Amino acid sequence: MLQLSNISKIYRTKTIETTALHQINLDIKQGEFLSIMGPSGCGKSTLLNIMGLLDEPSQGHLLVDGQQINNYSSKSTSRFRNEKIGFIFQSFHLIPDLKVIDNVELPLLYRSISGKERRRLASEALDSVGLANRKAHFPSQLSGGQKQRVAIARAIVGRPKIILADEPTGNLDSVMGDEVMDILINLNKESGATIVMVTHDERMAKKTDRLVRLYDGAQVA
Amino acid sequence: MFKNYLTLALRVLTRRKFFTFISLFGISFTLGILMVLISFLDSSLGENPPLSDKGDMVFVSNLNLARYHYDSTMIIDTNLVLEEMVFDTSYDVAEAGSSNWNSSVNNGIFQNYFDDLSSSRMMTIFNSDNSYVVFKDEVKLEMAVALTDANYWKVFDHQFLEGRSFDDREVQNAAPVVVITDEIADEHFGRKSDVLGEEIVLDGKSHKIIGVFKHIGKLISFVSPDAVIPYTHQNLANQSTFYHGSYSAIFLAKDGASTDALKEDIEAACETIPLDHPDNENGYTEAKMFPASFDEMFARGIYYDRDASKSLRIMKWALFGILAFFVILPTLNLINLNISRILERSSEIGVRKAFGASSSHIMGQFIIENIIQTLIGGVIGLVLAILLIYFINSAELMGRADLMMNWKFFVWSFLITLLFGVLSGLLPSLKMSKMQIVKALKETQL
Repeated sequence: MLQLSNISKIYRTKTIETTALHQINLDIKQGEFLSIMGPSGCGKSTLLNIMGLLDEPSQGHLLVDGQQINNYSSKSTSRFRNEKIGFIFQSFHLIPDLKVIDNVELPLLYRSISGKERRRLASEALDSVGLANRKAHFPSQLSGGQKQRVAIARAIVGRPKIILADEPTGNLDSVMGDEVMDILINLNKESGATIVMVTHDERMAKKTDRLVRLYDGAQVA
Repeated sequence: MFKNYLTLALRVLTRRKFFTFISLFGISFTLGILMVLISFLDSSLGENPPLSDKGDMVFVSNLNLARYHYDSTMIIDTNLVLEEMVFDTSYDVAEAGSSNWNSSVNNGIFQNYFDDLSSSRMMTIFNSDNSYVVFKDEVKLEMAVALTDANYWKVFDHQFLEGRSFDDREVQNAAPVVVITDEIADEHFGRKSDVLGEEIVLDGKSHKIIGVFKHIGKLISFVSPDAVIPYTHQNLANQSTFYHGSYSAIFLAKDGASTDALKEDIEAACETIPLDHPDNENGYTEAKMFPASFDEMFARGIYYDRDASKSLRIMKWALFGILAFFVILPTLNLINLNISRILERSSEIGVRKAFGASSSHIMGQFIIENIIQTLIGGVIGLVLAILLIYFINSAELMGRADLMMNWKFFVWSFLITLLFGVLSGLLPSLKMSKMQIVKALKETQL
C-alpha cells in the first residue's frame, strides 16, 4: 500500500544543512498496522508527513496505492489525498467554530456528495466511535478522549485506505489512550484500513503488527 | 458547502466581537460614504427623468465673438562681411492677442442658424436665470422660473401629475400660462389637490396654471425649475445685441447620430452667423460656440475649460481620486485586518488541506467568508447612507438638488459592496491558500 524507497529529507538554510530523514526504505502492506517509534526529533512526524503527501521528500521515491506523486500542490494530489488518506493528529486539530458533526463532515465537503448524504456518513462515523449523542456539541464541550474520537471519525468518514496517526494517544491519559487504541485496532481489523501510527508509548506500539524504530533520521529496526 | 462556510463565517464573526466591531465599523462607514456618492452621481448624472435622453443631449450656453490682433516685429542684427559691418534685418508678423465677447445667446441666433442641423432631432432654447418673488396671503415665496419653448417638454421628460404643458401656439401667442411643480403647488396653495386654472402673478402679469409636474431637485437649474412659462413673455427686443441675449440651448442628437457629430454640426453652423450686422461694432471676425455633452457641461460647472472634454476628464480623475481615497485605503486596511485574522486560523487551513481541500477551495472559502462580512457591513452602510441622504435632503445641504434612491442606487450599492468584499478578501485568501500544509499544522491555535 505504501512503498518508500531511499526516502531522505534534508532541510537547508544558507548556513546549515539538517538531515531529518536518511534513506528510509519501507514497504507497508495493505491492512497492516505499523507503528513508528523513536526519540523526539528523530524524524517520525516528518516521515508520516511524507507518507501522507503533506511534505515532499528531498530524495527517493514514494508509491501510495501504487501511484507515484509528482506535483504535491496540484488539485489532483488534493483529490488523491482526500480519497486515499485519513489523518489523526496528536492535538486533534478540530475546528473550534464548527459543531462535532460539521467537523466530521469536513473531508466530504471536497467531494461531490449531497449535504444529506454527508450528514448520513458523518453520523455513521460518529456512531462507530461511540459519539452519536455529541453531534451538536462544539469541540470545546468535549473531553480530550472524546475530541480524539471525533478526529478518528473525521479520518474514517471518507473511507480512506490509509490512516496516518501522529501520536493519537499522546495527549490522553492511559484510560482514554487505551480507548482510542482499541478503536484503531478494531478499525484496522474490520475495515482493513492500513494504519501507520507514530507513538512514544512502547505499550501502544506493542499492540500493532509491526514496529519501526528511527534514530537520528535513520531506520534502526 | 456554502452553508458550511456561512455557518463558520457567522461563528467566527461572533467569536471575536471587538475585532468584528472594528471591521464592520470600517466597512459600513466606507460603504455608506460610497453609497451617498453613488446617489449623488445618479441624481446628478443618471439617465433618470427628466434626463432620460441625457445621452443624446448637447448643451450650448454661450456665443463667443473674437477678433485677433497682429503685431509686427523687426529684428536688426549686425554681421561682419569681408571685414565690413552690415545690417541683417528680419520682419515677422504674429498673433499678439485677441478681443473676445463671450455671453449667452440671443434666441434669434439659435432659431435662425441652428434650427435645422443635420444630426439634430430637436432643439430647445431656454432662459433659466430668473428668480421671481410671489406673494400669497402675504407669504413670500421665491420661485426659479424657466422661460422656454414647447420643445422643452420633449427634451426633458418631466412627470406630469396634473394638466398639461404649453404648446407651440401658446408660445407664439405669449399665452399667459404657467406650469408649476407639485412642491410650489403645495407651498403656494396648500395641500389642495386641484390647482389647475388658478392664477399666479409673475413679473406683474397674471398666469393661469395649466399643469403640475413632479419636482425632482437637480443641481442644474434649467433641469428642475419651480415654474415654466413661454419665453415669449420676455421682452425679446430688449436683449443686448443681435448676437447676445439671455438664452442657452439644448440639442438632441438624431437616432444613430453621435453627440460628437452634433457638436461638429453646431461648430460648423457658427460659421453661418453673419458678422456684418451693425451690432458687430467692434469688428469681430469669428463666431464660436463651445458645445458640450451633459456630463461635460456638469464638469465645466466644477472646473471651467473651453474644451469641455478636458473639464470632464479632470472631473473623472478627481472622482477616481475620491474613490481611491474611500475604497483603496479602507481596502488595504481591511486586507491587513483579514491577514492577521486568517493567520490565527492557519492550522484550520492545514487540516482542510490535509483532508483534500485544494488551494482554490481555501481561497473560495475565505473570499465567501469575507463577502458575508462585507455584506453585513454593506447593510449597515446602507442604513447609514439612507439616513445621511435623508438628512442632506431635508437640511437642503445641496441647495435645490435632492439625492435620490432608486433601483439603480441599490444595484450599484450591492455591486460595490460585493467588489469591496472580493478585493479585500482576495489577497489574504491567496496568501493563505499557498501556505504549506506542514507549516500550517504546526500552528497550534486549534
